[in-house]
Amino acid sequence: MGAFEYRQAQEIRDALRRHGVRYLFIGKSGAVLLGFPDTTQDADLFVERNPENCRALVSALRELSFPLTDEEVGEIERGKDFVQLRSGPFDLDLVFAPDGIERFEDAWRRHVEVEGFPVCHLDDIIASKAATHRQKDLESLPRLRSFREYWVKRQGFQ
Amino acid sequence: MGAANPDKPESAESLAGIPPEWLEEFEAAARRPLKLRFQYSFIHTYKPVLDDAPYRSFDTMEDYRRWCEENLPDWLGYGRV
Repeated sequence: MGAFEYRQAQEIRDALRRHGVRYLFIGKSGAVLLGFPDTTQDADLFVERNPENCRALVSALRELSFPLTDEEVGEIERGKDFVQLRSGPFDLDLVFAPDGIERFEDAWRRHVEVEGFPVCHLDDIIASKAATHRQKDLESLPRLRSFREYWVKRQGFQ
Repeated sequence: MGAANPDKPESAESLAGIPPEWLEEFEAAARRPLKLRFQYSFIHTYKPVLDDAPYRSFDTMEDYRRWCEENLPDWLGYGRV
């Protein structure tokens, strides 16, 4: 498995759009899309949890060549809080209930589009990382918060 | 949805709270096209245990966090502090 590539992010974006999936890039991958210079491994998608959206997501994942068993499809369609896919063309984490964000709709209202990629607002990315209380996230927060200051002031995002 | 306003003027003083080396990195990243930012940002490193199963799912985030604490090596940083 190589590093996640821009081309693969485009494939996600295009396939999920074709299937009408409501989702947002979140986590470090979302921050990178917003311009945050840091390293990460995989893409994290915050997916709206409702039966129709989850079924559309499964169709998109199959189109992207993720080999899902019937049991896995059932779990994704039920919208378990967290699903980790390591069997497809690239690593992908599906988050249906990220820490620190109450409702998908709230995050959707604040989200930002970057070259057609729907991305959580940096405030939501920071909130979700802060709420995990994980060592690796807490270590990255000071720099991420500084980037937020830069992003809001220099790039003009509100 | 948020909107970009690249013409918004900001004085250097307004960014004074950001450590200079970080500000330099943010400015450099902003000059790179997204494709190049991806190339610089996404790396693949094998993470023991975490990468050893093709599929995992958790009913709740709390289940996932607990599983990470009980199964992953501390040095991966997935433990809560």
